[in-house]
Amino acid sequence: MPKVRRSRKPPPDGWELIEPTIDELDQKMREAETEPHEGKRKVEGLWPIFRLHHQKSRYIFDLFYRRKAISRELYEYVLKENIADKNLIAKWKKQGYENLCCLRCIQTRDTNFSTNCICRVPKAKLETGKIVECIHCGCRGCSG
Amino acid sequence: MATSKGANTYNRQNWEDSEFPILCQTCLGDNPYIRMTKEKYGKECKTCARPFTVFRWCPGARMRFKKTEVCQTCSKLRNVCQTCLLDLEYGLPVQVRDQALKLQESMPKSDVNKEYYTQNMEREIANSDGISPVGALAGKAQAPSDMLLKLARTTPYYKRNRPHICSFWVKGECKRGEECPYRHEKPTDPDDPLADQNIKDRFYGINDPVAEKLLGRYNSMPKLETPEDKSVTTLYVGNLGDKVGEKELRDHFYQFGEIRSVNVVSKQQCAFVQFTIRASAEAASEKSFNKLIINGRRLNIKWGRSQGQQLAPRPQTSESDVPLEPVPGLPGALPMPPEELSNNYFNLGGGPPPNMPPMPPRGMPPRGPPPMGPPPPFGMPPRGPPPPGMRLPPPPPGVMPMRPPPGMPPRHGGPGMMHYPSQDPTRMGAVPGGSKN
Repeated sequence: MPKVRRSRKPPPDGWELIEPTIDELDQKMREAETEPHEGKRKVEGLWPIFRLHHQKSRYIFDLFYRRKAISRELYEYVLKENIADKNLIAKWKKQGYENLCCLRCIQTRDTNFSTNCICRVPKAKLETGKIVECIHCGCRGCSG
Repeated sequence: MATSKGANTYNRQNWEDSEFPILCQTCLGDNPYIRMTKEKYGKECKTCARPFTVFRWCPGARMRFKKTEVCQTCSKLRNVCQTCLLDLEYGLPVQVRDQALKLQESMPKSDVNKEYYTQNMEREIANSDGISPVGALAGKAQAPSDMLLKLARTTPYYKRNRPHICSFWVKGECKRGEECPYRHEKPTDPDDPLADQNIKDRFYGINDPVAEKLLGRYNSMPKLETPEDKSVTTLYVGNLGDKVGEKELRDHFYQFGEIRSVNVVSKQQCAFVQFTIRASAEAASEKSFNKLIINGRRLNIKWGRSQGQQLAPRPQTSESDVPLEPVPGLPGALPMPPEELSNNYFNLGGGPPPNMPPMPPRGMPPRGPPPMGPPPPFGMPPRGPPPPGMRLPPPPPGVMPMRPPPGMPPRHGGPGMMHYPSQDPTRMGAVPGGSKN
């Protein structure tokens, strides 16, 4: 089932350029949603969802802020339609959060000692040779 | 009037709420800065089944999270760590500790009895000062036994905190690879008795395989046997090196009683400490065996030989002791051989170096206390039986005794037989046991 478009307005110019990629990511998301959970750990179930969500938002973010390939009008339309996560993109604009994997990993209220996720620890500060895989989204380190 | 069960507090079991866990150093880990979580009434105690406050923490990098397993009342009753159930003072299993202190603790194991017992003990704990142990352990903890001191762990053993072995990896289906926080190692043999442990048995100190192992190790430890002969008051101290001298030895051994003499044989790196009475020698051997370390050297303590044994020569010295008939036909007026050669035919060790002051002509035995009393004048056969502890000097080649000195049985068929050194079957150690029988 295609995503319900909330506004009756036609999309701005340039939509047809990004539409195939968005559709493809939507398709992947649907596959990830229907994937069986057998053989996975409890925490592993949501990891592909978080990854695709990140990927889609990152695509829009790169097009607008890095490559400046789409118009502000189209960018705002995409945010309004919830195709890209505007909260996540807002974090990416902050220094130190340029590669943030997901919003759960910086939600300190959800942890025992009010800390960030292990994937937010810079590699240099981790003990050497330690491989981390955060339990929220399976991120292996998004802080340099 | 309280009608509901919840409002009635009379004689109800106490739910334990504590501020700080009772833990051993190993369980706390090597990091002095630990974050712990505390959960009130988080779990039931694994021995008394009452709710208690559970603490959880990570004892260092690459260690698994640990939590408290038994309640503080149980821990105080047994003086054990709340997590590993090992004795807080010695780090030993309860069974070993109880056996060493000769504790006969019979804690009730049925439900109601256990509740009653815990209630009584809680009252006792509340009345005590909170530092000294209660129950069967009261007053016993101050009397450390030798066994506890030998078996006790002195340093924390952090390997105990490592993660468990990955059960998926054992089955060959762990898909996490490097990220797996569990250990990818070969598990111990399931037939090993150590693999079958049980927290209740460990707490009550029965059927504990670890304790069995430790007790077995204690029984197989080397022990110093006190000699039967009550006249032996000498201790052999070996492995002296050059750092430990007579002063250090006296400084250590004077605490056990009056010392008659300290003889340091620096060539053998050993010394002989003779006490005036037997009791002090026994105390010294007990207190120093296997634990005496002076100036960083672990000294080797043994008992000296008794005087009687000393008289009976050992094979390596027997050769020089036998009064032999000299070979006839040699010119009688040969000069005396140099002293260091007189008994050291093959220039082996045992004789004094040439530049040393003159010593008794017969080399001292390498072990055993040196003989008492001055050696008899050279060339003069001793009169009467030799004093104990003294060896007879054989006659020098110039002086030929007509019969063996008193105290020595005649041998080799009488004085008339000739003797060539090469005839002696024991000369090169071909026949064990020496020539004396």
